[in-house]
Amino acid sequence: MAYHLKSRIELCGVSQTFSQNAQQVQLFQDLTLTIAQGHSYAITGPSGSGKSSLLMLLSGLAQPSTGQGYWLENDSRRPLAGLAKEIGYIFQQFHLLPELTALHNVALPLKLRGVKHAEQLAKSWLDKVGLGHRLQHKPAQLSGGEQQRTAIARALVFSPKFIFADEPTGNLDSQNAQDIADLLFACCEEQGAGLVIVTHSELLAARAEQIFNLAQGHCQLRQSKLQEVYRA
Amino acid sequence: MLKQRWQLAWHFYRQASLQQRLLTWVQGILLVFILTLSQTSASIQAYLAQNLDQLLGADVVLSQAMPLSDTQQTALAGMSSQIVLTQSLELTFTHQQQWQTGLLKAVAADYPLQGELRSSLDPSGSDTSSSRGPMPGEIWLDARLFSSLALQIGDILSLGTSELMVSRILQHEPDRLMQGHSVQMRALVHRQHLAQLQRPGDRIQHRYLVAASKAQIAQIRDWQQQFLPAAELYHKQGAHPLALFWQRTENVLGLASIVLFFMAAIALQQLSRLQRQREHFFTAVCLSLGASRPTSLQIAIGKWLFGVLGMLPLALIFAMACHWLLVDWLAHTFTDLHWRFNPSLALQTVAACMLVFMLFQLPLWFSLQQACVRQLIQPSPQPMHQGLFLLSAFGALSAIAAYYSDNLLLTGMVLLALLSCIGLLLLLSWLLLTAGEKLSQSFSGLLPFVLYMMKQRLMSKSTQILGTGLAAFLLLFTLMLLKDLGNSMTLYQRQHDGNLLVSQATSAQMADIEAWAAAQNIAIRQQKPFLYAKLTQINGVALAQTQHKPSDSLASFNQPIRMHWTAQLPDNNRLSAGEWWPAGTANWQQLSLEQEVMTDLGLKLGDRLGFVIEQQQVDFILNASHVYQSGVGAITFWVQVPPAILQHVQAPRYSMASLELTAAQFSQLSALWQKHPSLRMVSLQELTARFDRILALVTTVISGFVVFISLLAALVIVISVHAVESQERKKNSVILSFGLSKGTCLKLNLLEWLITGAIAGCGAIAATWLAGSLIYQSQFALPYQPNFIWLLATLLILLSVVTALGFAVSQRSLRASVRQLMQE
Repeated sequence: MAYHLKSRIELCGVSQTFSQNAQQVQLFQDLTLTIAQGHSYAITGPSGSGKSSLLMLLSGLAQPSTGQGYWLENDSRRPLAGLAKEIGYIFQQFHLLPELTALHNVALPLKLRGVKHAEQLAKSWLDKVGLGHRLQHKPAQLSGGEQQRTAIARALVFSPKFIFADEPTGNLDSQNAQDIADLLFACCEEQGAGLVIVTHSELLAARAEQIFNLAQGHCQLRQSKLQEVYRA
Repeated sequence: MLKQRWQLAWHFYRQASLQQRLLTWVQGILLVFILTLSQTSASIQAYLAQNLDQLLGADVVLSQAMPLSDTQQTALAGMSSQIVLTQSLELTFTHQQQWQTGLLKAVAADYPLQGELRSSLDPSGSDTSSSRGPMPGEIWLDARLFSSLALQIGDILSLGTSELMVSRILQHEPDRLMQGHSVQMRALVHRQHLAQLQRPGDRIQHRYLVAASKAQIAQIRDWQQQFLPAAELYHKQGAHPLALFWQRTENVLGLASIVLFFMAAIALQQLSRLQRQREHFFTAVCLSLGASRPTSLQIAIGKWLFGVLGMLPLALIFAMACHWLLVDWLAHTFTDLHWRFNPSLALQTVAACMLVFMLFQLPLWFSLQQACVRQLIQPSPQPMHQGLFLLSAFGALSAIAAYYSDNLLLTGMVLLALLSCIGLLLLLSWLLLTAGEKLSQSFSGLLPFVLYMMKQRLMSKSTQILGTGLAAFLLLFTLMLLKDLGNSMTLYQRQHDGNLLVSQATSAQMADIEAWAAAQNIAIRQQKPFLYAKLTQINGVALAQTQHKPSDSLASFNQPIRMHWTAQLPDNNRLSAGEWWPAGTANWQQLSLEQEVMTDLGLKLGDRLGFVIEQQQVDFILNASHVYQSGVGAITFWVQVPPAILQHVQAPRYSMASLELTAAQFSQLSALWQKHPSLRMVSLQELTARFDRILALVTTVISGFVVFISLLAALVIVISVHAVESQERKKNSVILSFGLSKGTCLKLNLLEWLITGAIAGCGAIAATWLAGSLIYQSQFALPYQPNFIWLLATLLILLSVVTALGFAVSQRSLRASVRQLMQE
């Protein structure tokens, strides 16, 4: 995919604060960051450092206290709120709907968007994540690893430009965590989707092309396999 | 130790969750209903007891169609200190072109025996006490009869051959107990005029007002049972004649309350899942901290108890207010009925209700025994809980049905109607959601998704549909079916029976009707003969001793009933059991009884029924049972015997008949009534008016009941939404995480409630149609033709209300976001 055709997410000088017990708490300040489609990023840091908040800012789910966030595509710059339809999420708790089978959970975003042959497409994705034999099983009948595979298929089935994963292996054993990580990175690469992972796992973070560490209100690039520029 | 546990329970109760508050609401509504019902019933029963004491006008009243013989009169005199005779005859009063049916009572100078006779010179003027009734040549009319005949004081009223002067307005008779519940208009004359007025075959009711001591009352009772079994006897130590009727009314409403408890069971079933999670979590935490199971159980029971006791004052205040409103409304029927709260009864009612509520809570408390620390680590479902809940709910509903059941047929019918409605609603929910889901499976979009989700949540959706559907069914059933019933009845009756019904005519009267009809060129549509008979014994046992539960049939059999003789089974009857007698049979001591009456009185073929006909005791064997079928006239009889009876029993013979008159011919009726004042004829218009009055009463009562049902239905919706709120919020958050907007969630929610409302509405309409058809078919054998515009309008209203309410209470679940998913 040509770089100029890819979407990018830019945070320019953003700060995030919130009130707690009548006191202003600052999570981070003056942060500038660019995330590009087709690449993988990991955000690490201690609990409470604001990793998930940063994820929400990047995905346009939250507004920064100061600064701006943009979605850049085809040389146009738009607010991040417009990115919603181009994003898929993967959660630590999987958040599959318990009433639906694996097949229907994956077909859900397609059906809601009115896509024809939603179930066929969902089936092919479940085959891809190795759950072709578990199509009619409900989440309660699946293991943690299987549930997360289903969640990955669900997040990618509608071909989003970015995937935001919040501790995707946090609830899994090491073998399952490794398998899920393989799958997640492989699928994102295949789909050309940008992947942003929030994690405590050094092993998982190490697989990303860039690793950011968020601590004491500052975001630092710890490691980069890219030629991207960041300023913190 | 116990004190500490109660303190803990109090502490947790004060931090009541939404579930706890909803549970309190459900229990509160049930308690208000049952308290109102029991208090109102107690007020009426107390009023009737007081009424009996004050309005009997004597210590004993003996009433029958025949006068006492000299021997009987002497025997009665020997057991009492004074006897006063009143005679009454139902007849039609005419004045110029006006006529009005009413009761003429004839008294002598010795009347009244006890109490005050009050009259006035002006319908609205102040009344004064009179020491005696009208003098010969005078007539006193009550204010309504006086004005309906457009009379003035001093006018002359012709009754048969007597010319009577209207001298006073009758305001109060001290012995009106027997007519206390009737709205029949009345007049009072001197006894000598009744003798002049009487024609052969006229049924004059003789009432003997007797002054007697307690011992004499007992003596008279024994004497009456032995020598005058067909007579009616009322005394101050006995029960009011209306007491059983009101007991029956309370029982019917009590049985209907099963619907309320059933809906409460639905609500509680929904709540129990959430409650169980909370209580189990709490118990598991307690256990992990070293507390014992009994401690957490006591805290759970304590919390529930505080909840019930906390809502008790409010429920009592509401019940008292409802009770006051009902008494105020009933005061139109029972003058002098006053509001009086019965604290001991309230205590009993509250205790009984608490027992039922406890039954509903029992499965939860029982399941706490199974709570363990392991559940904190690995939550697991407990299928036993649901089974126990069903068992408890069934137990509670059965207890209520048993308490209020006085008639197996009625209980069976009420329960069957409810079960049919519930079954139908469940079937419809399942069918429509399954079909919708299957058909839309290959499509994408919001509607297929909603149908799919609803099918997956069939259990909780069905309860929402049941709650709203049941409320709508009862509302529709009351307002629409009864209205349609009234219209169809009127139309049908007019088509088949004409617009004038002769309900009692002697041979002479019937001959004159025939002559009058021939002169007016009117065809008599039907004419059926009968004689009066009073059922006194069943298989040799006195009727009063065989029947202990109130029933409509028993109420009618306490009076003489019409016995029809016929060789063939009438065209408008169908044989339902036994064998009809061959034409010309000499075996006259056999009869056929209406099937419903047989069920009501618990009779079977081969039973021996003892009747008194004109003071002659006759036994009949119950050989057949018949049911009414429409198409060939509405005049039908409960009791039918072979014509051979006429050769063995000497009794006045009467006829029932029907005619179709033009409006002009109605004004010609005065001539017939002037000649035969005791001729009983009633126009279709009057019949319809009577039906409408009953309908209005029934509609008011059921509408009040529907208020409670609607409240509970609303609660069921709130609770069922609350029960799946966290799942719903999660679903909405997940949908948002796909990049879809909140508007999509909103549309999904609206669609879901529209489908819920539509299924509930269709179910309610189908159930109403089914109930309507069954009732029409079984009771009147008529086709039910509902008004479809009305039905459609009802469906739309229901749809709007359910959607609006459901949408409003779902707002919390619409406040979803992807952030919440991340924070979990």
